[in-house]
Amino acid sequence: MSSSPALAAGAASHRAQDLRAVRLRTRIAVTLFAALAAGLAVIPMATSNISFAFYLMLWITMASAMNICVGFTGYLPFGYVVFYGVGSYATGICYKILGWPILPSLLAAGGTGVAIALLLAPTLRLRGVYFGIVSLALATIVKLVISNLPQSFTGGSMGIILSNANNPTHSYYAMLIVMGATLATVTWLSVSRLGRALKAIRDDDGAAACVGIHVPNTRLKAWLLAALFPALAGGIEAWYTNVVDPEYAFHVLITAKSIIYAMAGGFGTILGPVVGTLALLGVDHLIWQKFPVVNLLLLGLIIVLLMLFLPRGIVGSLIKRKPQLRRYIA
Amino acid sequence: MTGLLIQGLINGLILGAIYGLIGVGLNVVFGVLRVVNFAHGEFLVLGAYFAFFLLEYAGVNPLVALPLAFAAFFLAGYLLYFVLIPRLSKADDPEISSLLLMFGVSIMLGALMLLAFDADARSLPYEIEPVFLKFGPVLIPTVRLVALVIALAIIAALTVFLYRTQLGRALRAIIMNRDAVRIVGINAERLSAVAFGLGVGLAAASGVLVAMVFPAFSPFMGNDYTLIGFIVIVLGGLGHPVGALVGALLFGVTEQVSVVFFNPSIATICGFALMVAMIFFRPSGLFGRQALR
Repeated sequence: MSSSPALAAGAASHRAQDLRAVRLRTRIAVTLFAALAAGLAVIPMATSNISFAFYLMLWITMASAMNICVGFTGYLPFGYVVFYGVGSYATGICYKILGWPILPSLLAAGGTGVAIALLLAPTLRLRGVYFGIVSLALATIVKLVISNLPQSFTGGSMGIILSNANNPTHSYYAMLIVMGATLATVTWLSVSRLGRALKAIRDDDGAAACVGIHVPNTRLKAWLLAALFPALAGGIEAWYTNVVDPEYAFHVLITAKSIIYAMAGGFGTILGPVVGTLALLGVDHLIWQKFPVVNLLLLGLIIVLLMLFLPRGIVGSLIKRKPQLRRYIA
Repeated sequence: MTGLLIQGLINGLILGAIYGLIGVGLNVVFGVLRVVNFAHGEFLVLGAYFAFFLLEYAGVNPLVALPLAFAAFFLAGYLLYFVLIPRLSKADDPEISSLLLMFGVSIMLGALMLLAFDADARSLPYEIEPVFLKFGPVLIPTVRLVALVIALAIIAALTVFLYRTQLGRALRAIIMNRDAVRIVGINAERLSAVAFGLGVGLAAASGVLVAMVFPAFSPFMGNDYTLIGFIVIVLGGLGHPVGALVGALLFGVTEQVSVVFFNPSIATICGFALMVAMIFFRPSGLFGRQALR
């Protein structure tokens, strides 16, 4: 008993030290994100060729939202594209068929994404590969249901053309806002009570339940957040390109790229998915320009090589090699 | 209507047996290695092309091509194991990592097939005289009947192999307890390679059957077959060849009977919904013994 005040003091000083470290690395992450956002914000003023920057923001959003699901909860949803797809369809239908203005249509996209996530929430009972593949099967079901809706509603195999909504600059800034919101959410998660609860569940859900974390509710919150952003991204992409393409909106490559970009940077760190997207989107763009035919082949090869030689991603491996860097990398 | 229904039922049983073969191959790999072979469907389509080119350029009967495909792909799978899998055991979460790795392999194989064989759907120009057998109001293509017999024979042979031979027993022992197997002196590494080869070989063999039975195949269809194989495993239960067969028959009949009443994509939805229902009401599958983790 006599040593307890000393122990308590030691614990308190450790705690203060931890807090300082967390604050430092969060500040670094926020600064980097703010610099990135500011850089992206001035691009449309400098050049009219904004396509690459637009897709950069889109994929940063997709990869970071994927990170909420995989990095914070340990669930790997192979049917992730379903949120993106319903988002773009919701925008198309609300704007074109129901005649809503574009802003409420985008909000409807977010709402639909969250609604679908709620619908799929019972699958959170499953784990590991079972969750992954069941979510792929469910995504296929949603895709088939949408393609079986009346043609006057979804445009059938022609998709929906948003004709007079086209405004690349506005949709560019909408995407910037969504990317900012995604990064802010991920940063907030990494320091918040919810984020710590999620990591506790990921590492050992039994132990997490023992210390009083409501496991299903906490998981559900992360799941809904992970669904909201891709749905918004899907809606904005439909606005930007002016078309909802039934083939592309539910394409398995969208899931694949979200996973690859996030994984290349490293799941579980908030900088990882951004670094991974920056690194690989450029590579992907080059491959796409130089070797359009073998694009898919190289993409597959990148996944295989990443899994074999860099399973923790760029940022993850860096932290593993030099643990002291953890002070600076959130 | 009853005629159509019986026709649907019989089609369901025939396709179910082939789906069972797909599931069994996936099951062996997943059971022994805890690796979800996401590229299973691509190996299957490769097997279909194998039979196609043998028939096209060498005039080899698909029934002869089937064991050849099995042998060739067994060897390829056995070697591929050493390239892909051993490194994975160092990962934080081997099961998910293996899923991602095989996902990459699946994309690569799909792209390779697209480059090598073009995007056109091919079909195997193979028929047996008489083309149809007539049982009352029900017409069954002879090829389908032959495929049914072959699929059942392969599954039976595999069951005998797993339950009656030394090697098969060792494989089942790995499914039950990987660490204990090492203690009793079984070379788990080589055995795992055998299991992977077996899975890939079975995929190719079922690919030959698929090419015989279905009107067409193309490089894009791999994922669909992987999903079917996984659904079959979920329905039947893990690590049990008979379970996979029963699950596959259930899935095949559901799908084919739905085709009688609805359009094909609704039928696919019905089949997938069956899997989702099974997961919620009996997560270990019809024949499963352990909880799914």
